[in-house]
Amino acid sequence: MALLSESAKAVAAANGPAAPTAWQAWRYRLKVALREPTTLIGVLTALLFTYLIVVPIISIVLDAARVQFGHERRLSKDVGEFTLYYLDRVLFSPVSADLFWRPLLNTLSVAMGAILLSLVIGTVLAWLISRTDMFGRRWFATALIVPYMLPAWTFALAWTTLFKNRTVGGQPGWLEAVGLTPPDWLAYGRFPITIILALHYTPFVILLFGSALRRFDSQLEDSARILGARHHQVALQIILPLMRPALLSSMVLIFAKCLGEFGVPYVLGLPVKFEVLSTSLFRSIASRQTGVAGVIAGSIMLIGIITLLIDARLVREARRFVTIGSKGSMDRQSRLGRMRLPAAGFAATVFLMSVGLPLLTLFLSTIMKLPARFTLDNFTLDYWIGRDLDTVALKTGILLSPDLWAAAKNTLTIVGLASVTSGILGLLVGYVVIRTPVRLLSVYLRQVTFLPYLVPGIAFAAAYLSLFAVPRGPMPALYGTVVILVLALIADQMPYASRAGISAMTQLGKDPEEAAQIAGAGWLRRMTSIVIPIQKGSLVTGVLLPFISGIKGLSLFVILAVPSTDVLTTYSLRLVDYHYTQAANAVVLIIAAIAYLGTLITQKLTRTNLAEGLGS
Amino acid sequence: MPTINLRGAQKNYGVNSANAVSDLDLEIRDGEFMCLLGPSGCGKTTTLRMIAGLENLSGGEIRVGDRVVDCVSGGVFVPPEKREMGLVFQSYALWPHLTIERNTDFGLRLRKLPKAEREERVERVMQALDIAKYRDRYPSQLSGGQQQRVALARMLAINPGVLLLDEPLSNLDARLRLEMRAELKRLHKEFKTTIVFVTHDQWEAMTLATTIAVMNEGTLQQIGTPNDIYDRPANRFVAEFVGSPPINILDFGDPGTSDVTDKAEAYLAAHLPGLRSIGSVGIRPEAIGYAARTEDVPEGSFSGETTVTGVLPTGGNWILELRTDNHTLFLTTHVPPRVEQGARVLFFAPPEALHVFDADGRRIAEADDRLRSTATYN
Ligand SMILES: Nc1ncnc2c1ncn2[C@@H]1O[C@H](COP(=O)(O)OP(=O)(O)OP(=O)(O)O)[C@@H](O)[C@H]1O
Ligand SMILES: [Mg+2]
Repeated sequence: MALLSESAKAVAAANGPAAPTAWQAWRYRLKVALREPTTLIGVLTALLFTYLIVVPIISIVLDAARVQFGHERRLSKDVGEFTLYYLDRVLFSPVSADLFWRPLLNTLSVAMGAILLSLVIGTVLAWLISRTDMFGRRWFATALIVPYMLPAWTFALAWTTLFKNRTVGGQPGWLEAVGLTPPDWLAYGRFPITIILALHYTPFVILLFGSALRRFDSQLEDSARILGARHHQVALQIILPLMRPALLSSMVLIFAKCLGEFGVPYVLGLPVKFEVLSTSLFRSIASRQTGVAGVIAGSIMLIGIITLLIDARLVREARRFVTIGSKGSMDRQSRLGRMRLPAAGFAATVFLMSVGLPLLTLFLSTIMKLPARFTLDNFTLDYWIGRDLDTVALKTGILLSPDLWAAAKNTLTIVGLASVTSGILGLLVGYVVIRTPVRLLSVYLRQVTFLPYLVPGIAFAAAYLSLFAVPRGPMPALYGTVVILVLALIADQMPYASRAGISAMTQLGKDPEEAAQIAGAGWLRRMTSIVIPIQKGSLVTGVLLPFISGIKGLSLFVILAVPSTDVLTTYSLRLVDYHYTQAANAVVLIIAAIAYLGTLITQKLTRTNLAEGLGS
Repeated sequence: MPTINLRGAQKNYGVNSANAVSDLDLEIRDGEFMCLLGPSGCGKTTTLRMIAGLENLSGGEIRVGDRVVDCVSGGVFVPPEKREMGLVFQSYALWPHLTIERNTDFGLRLRKLPKAEREERVERVMQALDIAKYRDRYPSQLSGGQQQRVALARMLAINPGVLLLDEPLSNLDARLRLEMRAELKRLHKEFKTTIVFVTHDQWEAMTLATTIAVMNEGTLQQIGTPNDIYDRPANRFVAEFVGSPPINILDFGDPGTSDVTDKAEAYLAAHLPGLRSIGSVGIRPEAIGYAARTEDVPEGSFSGETTVTGVLPTGGNWILELRTDNHTLFLTTHVPPRVEQGARVLFFAPPEALHVFDADGRRIAEADDRLRSTATYN
């Protein structure tokens, strides 16, 4: 025996080390994985996002199926026990039509209308901009995207300024003031909401469809024509099928956005009790119907998730198409001939309707005492910088109001803090996702940070309310604090931040860092002198883009903010509620200006295409 | 730098994939200039990265001198930043946000050397590599060849015991490549570093290396001096991979298919009586001669009749394509050929020029000695 083992040892020594056992291999891999903080950071961020993203969603879904405070007696169960009462109430009870089904139908019909309208306008404009010799097509290429940089409900306020009738108090609308009373259907509800959402999301179509058109290889078109196909045959049989993914994808995106849209239906729907899912959810929360809110929020999330899963499929399909085209052989323009001028006229009209008119209306409304009277004595700067006005509350011009500055300060601190944090977290997530040797961690982080993308903001806010409204464990109740807003905003922006981080790290590759490692740099040194300095640019984008979308965002704040934590958007909504039209419009203009300039600056700084930051 | 020793080193990237490197034993001695040579995807880069510590092992161990730096069963892993090796990446991997000078200085700063010494060393390598005049530029402002030299300078500055180079010349044009080869050879002498150099270019390997390690499909095929590799290839893969035009192989697999093969078999049977299981025989193109008349064929050599089917000048050298019924042989010569296409000639090769391989493609060393002795007797 002894002899045998001796010779075995000798063989092992001669042939190098024996093959490692499974346990040895595992221990070695663990050692390699834990050698650097990457994995540790990954685990910590994974935990953080589980808490900030997954837990709130679970919490609100649980709320929907548990007895809430105040209902113990009626349901003769204890608080927290399992119940189907809320589900039943929202989906099957006599009030279900008001709570859920009619809002659902309204949401669907508004979304469909907006999609159709924006597709019609958007595809034509996209084609004019990217494939024709229309006058001023370069200028239009930027100008027609502007509506998307402005908050959607800017347009809602402009609309009410023009078309408001006596259904609502406060200053009369312009049409009313000149003696033409607009009917309710024109002033409020489905019609204006549809139009406004359509105009707001037309840029989506222009960007997505336009870039697909630009990528389209005109050789495909030419070959069809050489084979004898006529113009319309080429359009129907070659171009349209190849454009289908882009079209479907913009439809799906617009739908998802409409689903979570709150400001527009709130401003325009409320006066005629026209409810969509988001306003119905808001009403349930405002009336402390937590269980009902849970069911509605859950439904919105479900619809959102399904929609975006469809989109993911379409994107994958689109990628299959993209490989067909060889790059660069495009940019051939159709000559419009006599239609050049009318085409430019069409584009100009769309621009006027979607940007010029609304902004001008809003601006004029803030410097006119009485609506729609264009005499010199009717103009005033009082609403901006006046003092001792004879109003009930807001006795100074908006720029002199401490409330505005408080709201502006809140906006900057809350949105700023959240953007900086999510920008940094995004880069960290990108780093871990790309570098960690633990695959599971990488996959989980990627997925969990993407999750909020599937959940409309208003539902996400409701989820936060459900989790953080009461103290849980070591966590005090956060409702009414700045903290809850910052946390919700961070979570809400993580999809963009982490995607930016992942793509930046992918682009960087591992070579520069490995070179530093070879030169003798440990982890911390590599981060501070190699990774972060090189990624400075994308870090700036990763902070600025969420910042802009946060500034104009409304749905998160409207649920989570209280007067003391008002940001600019909620402040202006409060002014709308109090019928301080001019002041509200002024605040909205300020927001629009910040959002617009911010976008421009970001684009200049990073030379990125807006289309990439589309989702934000 | 003490000897670097890989023992049974193994790398597997995925659960279900084949080994990128399997069971690799490799010894790199101090001051050696070793080339890892092999076709694309054979595991050269992987080997280099394992030595540097950028890739952890799936099995086996790596020692530097007596110290184990990487061992799966022992649970040892010394990270790259502690291995004191230099690695020049194929992509150069210069840090885009640092100037050339700061790129070169980076490693020295980490080592907290006094400023004066740092400056002196940076100056020295920048001068040696002729990049001092670009010191304030950023990498994106340099040409490929210049970036390449910065990548080298950056590693030389820290004076590593061993310098690992991954196809550093593959992105350069022919002239620059020649210059850089000479440069590398000079640096090897001047800095006395051990160099491990990855390439799939056999000429690069031949001209630079003191030792060549030929790899294929993740396994080591042969290790030896350039002459060893060329003159005594350990197996058919090495024989066929090294040399251009490639070695002529006569495969004894199916007898009767070709008369040269039959002739070779008969020839070997006569000269190597008792040697069985010969699988094939290889003859380098430059070892083959040709003659118009039987009298001019040296006695005792392996020869046969052929037709010249092609005369291909390659600038100073000529390749002759010789056809025997269904076999094509290539021969190279630096004497201008005196034959026309279509001429009938006799080819011949001295016995010691025959590389004899067994049925598995391994070299039969015994045959070498016996053939050589045949040669001297004649
Ligand atoms: N990160 C990786 N993941 C999975 N497989 C890999 C990875 N890197 C290399 N491989 C595989 O391992 C094998 C060896 O790759 P390696 O890069 O070492 O080849 P190479 O000899 O350097 O080739 P080349 O001359 O083309 O650079 C290849 O089959 C390759 O596909
Ligand atoms: Mg390689």
